Amino acid sequence: MPETAHVRVSHVTKRFGGVTAVDDVSFEVPKGSFATLLGPSGCGKTTTLRMIAGFYDPDLGDIEIGGRRVNNLPVHRRGTAMVFQDYALFPHMTVRDNVAYGLRVAHVSGPDRTRRVDETLAFVGLGGLGDRWPNQLSGGQQQRVAVARALVIQPQVLLLDEPLSNLDAKLREQLRVEMRILQRRLGMTFVYVTHDQEEALSLSDWIAVMNAGKVEQAGAPWEIYYHPRTAFLADFVGAVNLVPAQVTNLADGTATVSFGRHRAEVRRPEASLRAGQDVRLCVRPESFTIAPEGTVASGISLPGTIVRRAFLGDTMRYWVKVDDREWIVDQPDPGGSATLDGPVSLSLRPDRVHVIAE
Amino acid sequence: MRSLQREPALLLALLVVTALVFLFVVYPQLQVVLTPGPGGYVQYLQEGTWIGPLRNSIQLTLLSTTTAVVLGFVYAYAMVYSNMRWKPFFRLVGILPLLSPPFVVAAAYTLLFGARGVISYGVFGQSPNIYGLNGVWGVQTIAFFPFAYQLIADALSRSDPRMEQAARNLGAGSWRVFRTVTLPLSRPGLGAAILTTAIYILEDFGNPQLIGGSFYVLPTEAYSLISSFGEFTSAAAVSTILLLLALGLYLAKVRLDGGRSFVTISGRASSMPRPPVSAAVSRACFVACFALAGIILLVYGSLVVSALTLRFPNNLQFTTEHFQYVLSGTNGDALRNTLVFSGVAAAISAVFALFAGWLVQRGTWPGRRVLDLLLILPAAIPGIFFGLGYLLAFNQRWLDFVDRGWLIIIAFVFWNIPVGYQAAVAGLRQIDRSIDEAATSLGASSIRGFRDVVLPMLGGSLRVGFVTTFVRAVTTLSLVIFLFTPPTTTATIRIYQLVGDLNWGAATAYTVADIGMAIIALLVFAVLARGRIALGAARA
Repeated sequence: MPETAHVRVSHVTKRFGGVTAVDDVSFEVPKGSFATLLGPSGCGKTTTLRMIAGFYDPDLGDIEIGGRRVNNLPVHRRGTAMVFQDYALFPHMTVRDNVAYGLRVAHVSGPDRTRRVDETLAFVGLGGLGDRWPNQLSGGQQQRVAVARALVIQPQVLLLDEPLSNLDAKLREQLRVEMRILQRRLGMTFVYVTHDQEEALSLSDWIAVMNAGKVEQAGAPWEIYYHPRTAFLADFVGAVNLVPAQVTNLADGTATVSFGRHRAEVRRPEASLRAGQDVRLCVRPESFTIAPEGTVASGISLPGTIVRRAFLGDTMRYWVKVDDREWIVDQPDPGGSATLDGPVSLSLRPDRVHVIAE
Repeated sequence: MRSLQREPALLLALLVVTALVFLFVVYPQLQVVLTPGPGGYVQYLQEGTWIGPLRNSIQLTLLSTTTAVVLGFVYAYAMVYSNMRWKPFFRLVGILPLLSPPFVVAAAYTLLFGARGVISYGVFGQSPNIYGLNGVWGVQTIAFFPFAYQLIADALSRSDPRMEQAARNLGAGSWRVFRTVTLPLSRPGLGAAILTTAIYILEDFGNPQLIGGSFYVLPTEAYSLISSFGEFTSAAAVSTILLLLALGLYLAKVRLDGGRSFVTISGRASSMPRPPVSAAVSRACFVACFALAGIILLVYGSLVVSALTLRFPNNLQFTTEHFQYVLSGTNGDALRNTLVFSGVAAAISAVFALFAGWLVQRGTWPGRRVLDLLLILPAAIPGIFFGLGYLLAFNQRWLDFVDRGWLIIIAFVFWNIPVGYQAAVAGLRQIDRSIDEAATSLGASSIRGFRDVVLPMLGGSLRVGFVTTFVRAVTTLSLVIFLFTPPTTTATIRIYQLVGDLNWGAATAYTVADIGMAIIALLVFAVLARGRIALGAARA
C-alpha cells in the first residue's frame, strides 16, 4: 500500500464466552480512505469496529491509529468518533447542544464553539434546525445530526456502525451519495460497517468482507464483486450464477473449463489451479447478452429457454434453462414491449467468467 | 476489567462505592449475626424463649397478610376494573396511609375501641381488653391493606388490556376473562405482592409494640430484650431469626418478580380502556371501596379530631393547645429532625443509588453481581435488625465526635438503597447503551458521560428514589428506635413516646403534624419537579 496505514488491526481476536466473534483479523486502512467492513449479521464486523473505538478490548492482537498503539487508551482518548446505528442522540439536548457536546467536553469555548457547530450543521444541510429537539426530526435528519456531532470534533477516524440501516430505501440511497461526497471533501478516514452489499460497493474505496469472525477477502469493490475468492463471497455480494465446472487445460493467463456440454477459455484466477480440478464458475447476471434464438453472438454462446422472468424496473431478470441448469440473466433497460419468451440465445464474454477454486 | 484500568477515576469511584456498601450494609449486619457467637446461639436456642415470639410472628403474619390481601385485592380490583364513581377520591384515600407511620392505626384503634374508646365505651359502654393477638391482627389489617392494594393494583394493571379485549371479543364474560386471562397472567405479580405485604407485616414493630400487650412478636421481643434487660446477645439472636424469615420471604418474592416491586404510587393512568364490567359489579365495588375508605378516614379523622379537642372524647372543646405543644421546644426539634434527616438522606440515597446502579448495570468488571446483590439486600432486612446493626457497629466511644444525626441519616440512606437502585436499574434498561457510548466516543470520560447524559435522562428514577426514601424515612419507627438520642429524636419516636405516656392529645396532634409535614414536603417537591412526580413508597 502506498499510503500510510491510518488504522491498523493486526491479529486481533475477541471471544465472548465460548464464542469467537473475531478470529485473528488483520487489515490496514490507508489515511483518507473510505473503508467498509461488510458481512452478514454475526460475522464480527461490528465487534471489530467497537474494538477500534475502544468499547471492547481485544483478547489478542493490536490496534493502531495513526501509528500509535491504542489498546490501552480509553474510548475518549482515541481520537475516534462513532456514528451509531440508532444515532444515539441525547434526547435531553437540542440539536445544537448535541453537536456542541464534544466541543464542550474538549473545552472549546464560546464563539469558536458556536461557529464550528453552525458550520458543521450547515455542512450536513441542517442549518436552521439547531434549536429543534431530536424527537422533532425525521430519521434522515437525526442521522445527519449524528454525523455532524461526530464530525465537529474533527476525529482522526470516523467510525460508522450501519448508520443508514434504519432509513427507507429512497433516503438511504440519497444519504449514501452525500456520505461519499462528505468523506471526499473532508479527506477523513472513514471505517464503515454494513451488511448491505450495495451500500458497501457504492461507498467504499476498500472493502473487507467478513464471515464467521474472519476476513474472507479484502480489496477494491470491483475486485470483490467480479473476482470473489469464495462461493460465499460471490453469493453474498450481489446475485450470481455459480456453476460447477472442471479445469481441462491450463495455459499462461488462461484456463480452459468445461461445464455441461460446453467448454470455454477464460481468465486464469490468482488461486493455484491444476488440470482436472473441480471449480465453480462465477458469472454475474448482467454479464450476459440475451437475444432471441438464432441470433449470432460473439464469445461463449449458450442456447436456452426462458423459464421465468421478473421485471425489476431498470432490468428484466430471466431464469434461463441451459441444458439442466437455470441461469440468472439480466437484461438492462428492457423497454416496455421487448419482453423475450421461449428459446433464446445467451452470449458471454470470456473475461466476464470468474473461476473460483474450492 | 481493562476498561477500569484505563480510567483510574472510574476505578476509584467503584472502590469508594464498594467500600461504603461494605461499611454500611455488610459490616453492621454481620455485627448482629456474629454478636451471639456459636455458644450464644446454642444457649439462646436452648432457653426456648424464642419459640413463643416466633410462633406469634408466623401466626400473626399469616392472619394479617390474609385479611390485608383480601381487602387490598377488593380495593385494587375495584380501582382497576370497575367503572365506579369517586375513583380519584378513593385513590387519594388509598395513598394517605402510605404517608403515615403504620402504627398510628394502633393509636387510633385505642382511641376508638380501647377501654375508654369512643365507640367501645362511648357507644356500647364496654371496656374491652384490646391488647393481644386479635387487636394487632385487626390493626395490621387496616394498616397494611392499602399497601396490598397498591401492590396488587400495580400487578393487575400490568396485564395487557388488549388481551382482555381479545378474550371479550371471543365471547367470554368479564368475570370469565378475569379468571381465565387476567389472573393467570398476573399470578407472579400477585404472588410477589402478597409476599411483599407479608414482609411488611412480619417486620412491623410499632403496632405490636403499642397494643401487643404480652403478645410478643420477633421485632418487639428483640426490642424489649434490649430496652428492658440490656440483653444484646439474645436480641441479636432473635433478630437473626427474624432476618432469616424475612430473607426467606424476600427470596421467594425475587423468584417471582426478579426483585422489582415496591409499593409505587405513580399516577398510573391506564393507557387503554379495559373492557367494561357490569353495572352491578361496579356498584358492589363502590360500596366496598366506600366502606374501606370510610375505615381509613375514620382512623385519620379520629386523629385529627383528637388533635384539635381538649380531651378527646370526653371534652370536645376546640383547642390548638396540642399543636402549640407539638410545635414548640424539643417537640418541634424532633419534627425538624425528621424533615432534615429524611430530606438529606433521600437526596444522598437517590443519587448514590443511581450512581451505583450505573456502575453495576453498565460495568463489565468482575464481582458486579455481588455488588448488585448487596444493593438489593437491605430490602429484605427488617428495620429493627438494621437499626440494631448500626447500634452494635457504630455506637462507639471513639465515634462520639460525629453528630448522631449523621448515624440516622446514613442508616436511612443505606436501608433505602434498594428503592433508588432498582429505580435506577429499571431506568437504565430504558436507555440504550449506545447513548453512554456516544458520549465517550465524543471525548467524555465515563464519569463525565454519566453526569452529562445518563443523570439528566434518569430524572424519573431519581425522583422515585428520592420520594420513596423520604417517605420511608419519615414513617419508620423500627429503624430509629435503637439509634436516636435526645437531641436526635425523630417524629415517629416522639409519637411513640407520647402514646406511651397516654398523652393522646399531643400524640395525635404530633401524628397529624408529621403526616402534614410529609405531605407538604412532597407537594413542594412535586412543584420543584414541575409536577412530574412519580410517588413511590415502601416500608419494611
